[in-house]
Amino acid sequence: MATNYIGQAVKRREDYRFITGAGQYTDDVALPGQTHAYFIRSPHAHARIKSIRKDKALKAPGVVAIFTGEDTKAINGLPCGWLITDVNGQPMKEPPHPVLAQGKARHVGDQVAVVLAESLAQAKDAAELVEVDYEVLPSVVDVADARKSGAPALHEIAPDNTCYVWALGDKAAVDKAFAGAAHVTTLEFVNNRLIPNAIEPRAATASYSRADDGYTLYVASQNPHVERLLMTAFVLGLPEHKVRVVAPDVGGGFGSKIYLYAEDVVVTWASKQINRPVKWTAERSESFMTDAHGRDHLTKAELAMDKDGKFLAMRVHTTANMGAYLSTFASCIPTILYATLLAGQYTTPLIYCQVTAVFTNTTPVDAYRGAGRPEATYVVERLVETAAREMKLDPSAIRRRNFITQFPYQTPVALQYDIGNYEATLGEALKLGDVAGYAGRKRESELKGKLRGIGYACYIEACGIAPSAVAGSLGARAGLFEAGEVRVHPTGKVTVFTGSHAHGQGHETTFAQVVASRFGIPIEDVDIVHGDTAKVLFGMGTYGSRSIAVGGTAIMKAIDKVVAKGRKIAAHLMEAAEADVEFRDGFFQVAGTDKKKAFAEIALTAYVPHNFPHDKL
Amino acid sequence: MTVRVSMTVNGKPATAEVEERTLLVEFIRNNLRLTGTHVGCDTAQCGACTIHMNGRAVKSCNLLAMQAEGAQLVTIEGIAKADGTLHPMQEAFREHHGLQCGFCTPGMIMSAIDLVKVHPNPSEETIRAELDGNLCRCTGYHNIVKAIKAASAKL
Repeated sequence: MATNYIGQAVKRREDYRFITGAGQYTDDVALPGQTHAYFIRSPHAHARIKSIRKDKALKAPGVVAIFTGEDTKAINGLPCGWLITDVNGQPMKEPPHPVLAQGKARHVGDQVAVVLAESLAQAKDAAELVEVDYEVLPSVVDVADARKSGAPALHEIAPDNTCYVWALGDKAAVDKAFAGAAHVTTLEFVNNRLIPNAIEPRAATASYSRADDGYTLYVASQNPHVERLLMTAFVLGLPEHKVRVVAPDVGGGFGSKIYLYAEDVVVTWASKQINRPVKWTAERSESFMTDAHGRDHLTKAELAMDKDGKFLAMRVHTTANMGAYLSTFASCIPTILYATLLAGQYTTPLIYCQVTAVFTNTTPVDAYRGAGRPEATYVVERLVETAAREMKLDPSAIRRRNFITQFPYQTPVALQYDIGNYEATLGEALKLGDVAGYAGRKRESELKGKLRGIGYACYIEACGIAPSAVAGSLGARAGLFEAGEVRVHPTGKVTVFTGSHAHGQGHETTFAQVVASRFGIPIEDVDIVHGDTAKVLFGMGTYGSRSIAVGGTAIMKAIDKVVAKGRKIAAHLMEAAEADVEFRDGFFQVAGTDKKKAFAEIALTAYVPHNFPHDKL
Repeated sequence: MTVRVSMTVNGKPATAEVEERTLLVEFIRNNLRLTGTHVGCDTAQCGACTIHMNGRAVKSCNLLAMQAEGAQLVTIEGIAKADGTLHPMQEAFREHHGLQCGFCTPGMIMSAIDLVKVHPNPSEETIRAELDGNLCRCTGYHNIVKAIKAASAKL
């Protein structure tokens, strides 16, 4: 029985359903009696909604209901899950984020009304009969313009469009180091906004049951438990245990499906209003307009060096675009997940970073692939590369001169690095990239009339977004732990429930490899369950490369508990001291003897406890 | 306005009364409940809705159901043998890790089968060029190309 699957090329267990068309994505869910929702969205970046006339539309064929902001006044806005405290010790500005616009639309695509009909085509037809009278307002869309005097204000509580001004580092010490530097490299650049564009559009289908006053929401989400917590406790005020959120197969997320979105709330709320299921699936144009975007920074960055190119200090000023509203984790991306990575792989002793987060009439911005950390690496490596050119130093030499070589290393931007070998990784990269042969390749290209370039980047990333105590001290409002439950059935088969969520990562295979190997049982005996709040006890979802680091660790800890219990039972059955019982390769064995019990035998004893150490368990 | 459409889907007759504007992909997904055919872009760019119509790969989001009147259609659900034996292209995608989230996969496989029919033993270059109508947002193209190349040797 080959049971060490770790490091083996195990074929993905989820693939069979995907290659046969048997996957179950949210839009594949069809509930009896379902209605179809179509959202009417603002075509303007900024507009006052003077009136909405829906009488004609209500008479259109198949229309079941039309809801506007008037109908959803009692529903709280969407919350932000991370509190940033500004340079003056004040909390960030958290303007209301209504699920349907309240009097004003603040970005193109802002949801103004929703039409529910028997068919999607009927809902779309009726939407054309809804008359929304907009008074178009001046708008601000560029991050550079948001705080200019005279810029139109989006929110009453933030007249200067400023969410927060936040800083990390010792500004006075940094300024002093710059004043005495032999050379300063300065760069100003844009890290452009981008659209995540998961290939499966966002989708949500909700149903309400009068029988138990409960709701079920199927949603394309990376994060079903947090979605439920935010929606029930903060937005709809529903009892959390009466709402089941299922994120079935999800066609990619890239960050954009971490968040609680207005549409998810509206379909859930509406399913009770009309006492019928409500189904919504985004069109691609809606994905562009309403899935949270990424990046959108304007940065001035400076690096101070001595005459040999040794880094003395770094100073970074970034203006980060939040978009029109604060998305679920928007506030922590350009701060906690950005400024803390500005040391990169270098010993820069002093770093100061100031981040100004602004509101503009654009789609909200939140975490997208790497989220904050790639932006930081871009700042650091652009600076280093430019500094090398300005000081006529070899790009690898300037890096080597400044690499961190002593560990643990405390950076000036809060993080401590436990271990690393940057010299080795750079050396390997130079070898793999045949940097020695680059000059020759460049000449060859020139002979063909082509250009050839070479670039360097030394990347470091903080993954996992945990543990809870650290995240909490930095302003996280969520727990950021992970849950894992390992359920051993009477026959020794195992079901693992994880709070991580897979949307392409392949957890059903990788997690099973670990569990099967640890228990010494065939991988076919292990199933991984995720994405359903009715099955999995709790979860924080998948983002920030946290699944194996945090979710996997939770599973390992649960396995340890199972093994510890198994050892007690085995010791009892074999009349041995617990300390003498080892668990290896699927057997509990009395050390130094041939007395052993198989994993499944111990599992059965736990369920058929005729001879059982009750007093020890 | 409704219209009666009749066609053969995965070897079985399929008939329904649908609105004239019903797209073929809507007919397949909603009327026939064959949900392996996906809609990713609504605009015939991503190819997640690719099926075979009269032996040719087509994007079913870009056709009306009426246009398939009398046609022979095959969807992702119809390419394995009746006994469950997978199509060599399905096997190749699994063998070569040609998928991650799986959403583009049915369209990729349907396109790839047609690709190999038109270009037996295609070069890597041909595969990449011919796949330009199918998008994989997980950016797993490298393994998709490997899978198609491997399957072409068996088809």
